[in-house]
Amino acid sequence: MTPLVAATSTALLQNALVVGAMLFALGLVGILTRRNLIVMFLSAELMLQGISVSLVAWSRHHGDFGGHVLVIFVLTVAACEAAVALVFVLQAFARTGRLDVAAWQALREATLARSVDHALPASDAEPQRWPRLSTAGVLPPGAEEPSLEREHV
Amino acid sequence: MQQLSPATLLVLVPLLPLAGAVLTLLLGRVLGPRAHLPAIAGIAGAAAVAVMLLLGTSNQVGSAHGPHAEPVRPVEMITTLWQWASVQDAYVPPASSAAAVPGTAVGSAGSTARPFTIPVALRLDPLTATLLAIITCIGLVVAVYSIGYMHHDPGYPRFFAVFSLFVFSMSMLVAASNFLVVYVFWEAVGACSYLLIGFWFRKPEAARAAKKAFLVNRIGDFGLAIATFLLWMTYGTLDFHDTLSPDGTILPGILGQTRLADVDGIVGGAVGTAICLCLLLAACGKSAQLPLHVWLPDAMEGPTPASALIHAATMVTAGIYLVARSAPLFMACPGALTAVSIVGATTALVAALIATVQNDLKRVLAYSTISQLGYMFASLGTGTLLGFTAAIFHLVTHAFFKALLFLGAGSVMHSMGNVIDMRRFGGLRRIMPITAATFLVGSLALAGIAPFSGFFSKDEILAALHGKGWPNAHAEHHDAAPASHASLWNASYVVPRPAPREDSTDWLDGFDAPATWRSLFWMALVTAGLTAFYTFRAVFMTFTGPTRVPDEAGHHAHESPPVMSVPLVILAVPAAAVGWWLFGTQSLAHFLAATPSFSAPAVAATAAPHAFHMDLAIQGTLAAAIGVVIAAIGHLGRRSDGPQLERFLGPLQTFFANRCYVDELYAWLVVRPLEALAVVAALFDRHVIDGLVNTFARLPVALGGIVRRLQGGLLQRYALAGVMGVLAIVVLLAWQLRG
Amino acid sequence: MNAGLPELTPGMLVAGAVTAAAASLWLLLPRGTESRLARWLGLVLGAAAISGFIVTGRRLGGLGEEAVFLTVSLVAVVSGAATIVTRSPVYSAIWFALALSGVAGVLLVLGAQFLGVATIVVYAGAILVMFLFVLMLAQPSGLASYDRVSNEPLLSAVAGAVLLGLLSLSIGRMSADPTCCAVPAKAAAVSDAGAAATAVAADPLAADQVARLGGELFGRHLLAVEVAGVLLLVALIGAIAVVARGEAALEDDRRFFEGGVRR
Repeated sequence: MTPLVAATSTALLQNALVVGAMLFALGLVGILTRRNLIVMFLSAELMLQGISVSLVAWSRHHGDFGGHVLVIFVLTVAACEAAVALVFVLQAFARTGRLDVAAWQALREATLARSVDHALPASDAEPQRWPRLSTAGVLPPGAEEPSLEREHV
Repeated sequence: MQQLSPATLLVLVPLLPLAGAVLTLLLGRVLGPRAHLPAIAGIAGAAAVAVMLLLGTSNQVGSAHGPHAEPVRPVEMITTLWQWASVQDAYVPPASSAAAVPGTAVGSAGSTARPFTIPVALRLDPLTATLLAIITCIGLVVAVYSIGYMHHDPGYPRFFAVFSLFVFSMSMLVAASNFLVVYVFWEAVGACSYLLIGFWFRKPEAARAAKKAFLVNRIGDFGLAIATFLLWMTYGTLDFHDTLSPDGTILPGILGQTRLADVDGIVGGAVGTAICLCLLLAACGKSAQLPLHVWLPDAMEGPTPASALIHAATMVTAGIYLVARSAPLFMACPGALTAVSIVGATTALVAALIATVQNDLKRVLAYSTISQLGYMFASLGTGTLLGFTAAIFHLVTHAFFKALLFLGAGSVMHSMGNVIDMRRFGGLRRIMPITAATFLVGSLALAGIAPFSGFFSKDEILAALHGKGWPNAHAEHHDAAPASHASLWNASYVVPRPAPREDSTDWLDGFDAPATWRSLFWMALVTAGLTAFYTFRAVFMTFTGPTRVPDEAGHHAHESPPVMSVPLVILAVPAAAVGWWLFGTQSLAHFLAATPSFSAPAVAATAAPHAFHMDLAIQGTLAAAIGVVIAAIGHLGRRSDGPQLERFLGPLQTFFANRCYVDELYAWLVVRPLEALAVVAALFDRHVIDGLVNTFARLPVALGGIVRRLQGGLLQRYALAGVMGVLAIVVLLAWQLRG
Repeated sequence: MNAGLPELTPGMLVAGAVTAAAASLWLLLPRGTESRLARWLGLVLGAAAISGFIVTGRRLGGLGEEAVFLTVSLVAVVSGAATIVTRSPVYSAIWFALALSGVAGVLLVLGAQFLGVATIVVYAGAILVMFLFVLMLAQPSGLASYDRVSNEPLLSAVAGAVLLGLLSLSIGRMSADPTCCAVPAKAAAVSDAGAAATAVAADPLAADQVARLGGELFGRHLLAVEVAGVLLLVALIGAIAVVARGEAALEDDRRFFEGGVRR
């Protein structure tokens, strides 16, 4: 099995490091801005990916397996983190009924009012119209539980 | 007891009551109604030891009579427990020190700077031994009496703890050999007094009286503090006794024998007078002399046993002790001595006048105590050995009979349901014969009727005053038997009293004239008559006439239980006999003369031969008899709520009944201006200072209000702030390392 | 490399690209108000930023290598950006899966075959599926209000851009520093110390690379591997324990959040 890129120059290292930095920065912005707990988690994983890329780039540059081993541990830790954190997310959802990180504001000053979102548009996506076929024969089963159906995700 | 040295015994006297107090405090709840046991055991042990010490010291002094009559040598024993504080080279005597320090010549006069040390030293000399015995013995009797009196009181353990603590403090006060230690225990007895006056602290009057006693005593304590400072500045030491420094020199104490043997050892003049007047102020506060007497009558709000021990027998005599102990200091300042006498005699007369119209039995006794203390001061102020010993003699007899009278009054109170107004009593001798009989004995002693104890001590005081007023008459009188006295007062101590110094132009010294002393003598004589009057007025109102018992008494109206009546009887014996015995054998005068303070040449030179002055005795007895007769005319056999006194005294009665308006005077002169000042200060504090402080306080609050908005509870904002902080640091570092 | 614009230094290019990236992210992130113009502007700016980075990046030599690397890293970065700007969390997760595949490609380009595959298997196969399950359990119908707004998008975008700028500049400066990027003497030093296995593993491009990685992992890093195993176990038990205990406390918490009662 031959490697896809045989270059061992510092150019590959630098480019890979820039890619890792971009992934890390994107993950950081995501974790700082997005309110959805799941998306925050995805952003965190994105940061980990950036780190992984950097580590492997250095490993390639140094010609040893240190970076590889570290990335394996990053994978392990990410798996543990995902397991525990998702349980927490579920618990949080069970308590507040939302995946909103802003629902957890108890750490604020006692004199400050709870911050709420102002002036949200009712919805930014018009409901999609699915094609409806004319009835031919018996109605297909389903649609007994309208709440289980989602118009979009 | 062979193995116990006198020093150990001396330490035991205060230590046992202290242990008793601590044990009572710790075990009070456990012991419950037996909480008196540790306290009484401690005081009893202390009393036994004190009597042993008294006998031992007495043996050391020697007998006044017989072939073994020896010249008076000062007797003292010092035991230093520990060094409380020590500061090296604290005192550098001024170059032109008026205090020529004797003793510096003894050793090498090398370094002039001396250390400031406070040795906690106990001393034993005749004066201390006498007072220790009085304090512990009377304390024991009163403590036993309290078992009955304080029975069923919720604060039973507390009473005995404080009582025992008082005995400890008072023992330390008279045994301490350092002015600073004296000051400490001067305050300690004041604190115990405060605690006992305010014993029933839920009662507003008691709490107020305790506060008043404490505050008025502060004025006197202030005087003692100033006197202590002045003594340090003047003498460079606060010790009474001489100490041997490690390099072999003798550091003379203020009242040490080295200094006392030196004619110029004691500083007179303005500084000396200032010291003495400050000491007098202290004594006036503690011993309730004019104008600081106002706290003592109110102090009767405390339990009667406490009044008997503290406010009649012992603590109030601390002022007498202080002046007597400082006798050599006063001898150098005739003006201050005269002031002592003037204060004393005036207090005696005014207090006696006020006592004549009091209707509260305990207040009569309180004013009587003030009056008798004034007597003692008048005697001290004569500045003669006779005067000093007479004052202590009167102190001893007064301790017995006044404690007896107070305990008798307490017995009446106990039976009458805590009623103490004499106008509601009558003929109580039928109900409580023992109390009546012992009260009568005490009254006879107080009134100065021969042969009860008060007669002899009062006679000596009158003699001392008379001797100053008519010096020539006494000189002739004593010339009758000059030889015997020459042998008694050893020639080595007959040092002529130093001639008045040229610089003593103090105006106070001008009072030291026979005319002053004559008027003081007449005041004392009138006081004797008044004493007899108010004493027997109280006796007649309470114990004679138709039997009347206040309703509050209920089924209590009977003789007190033995635990209370037996102490009365025990006290009645010395109240009756001790005067005759001590006067007849004159052992006390001889004994006290061996006190270093009294054996100083300046004091010893004034020694007059012991004599019984028949003319004075007749005058005193006559005055007392007139008083008794007037009291009998007014009150014997009549209803005690009659208006005889008002008819007799007229408007004066109102004046005296209002205690000569001294309290009102204080209110107008001191309390009201202070209250006005306090109001002004409070307004200033509340509006100006608080306003300023609040302004400063609002600043951080406002600042915090701005920053607080950041603490919004949104997790991502915190994270953003953290990231931005890290980035700021990294950018800063990159900027710095850009080269 | 930029002959036409000689005054345009790589540093300025990076700064411009970073600024454009920040503006693009700010425009694309959900801000409550939606406009088509903002979206297009954001996309254009994002493309400009990426172009800037491509221009400043160093050439790898061969065109094929260049194309491969460019492709996989573009997939990774663009999908990563889409992950954080997409409103719907489900689409986010899917974009993330695509980003993972890009990252796996980068890893393969870097010669880490095992890691590239493991990333796909572990992340896309296990973790991401778990995310989707959670979303299925918890996501309400349609877009939740909190998916349509962001927290401080401008400041965050600027912070991220500053970070990226700093990193890019320092990475770019490495080439100027001859001491930094030479293959360090460390590996040689380690081999001198006597570890023969290290010397053997020094070439990651060898054919038996995975076997060597396994040897490295279970040789030098055995203890760490065991600890990682324990960590996995603990995470498993912990997750179960939190769920079991959480049910009891749930009612209490629900009262707190619904009733607004302070505990």
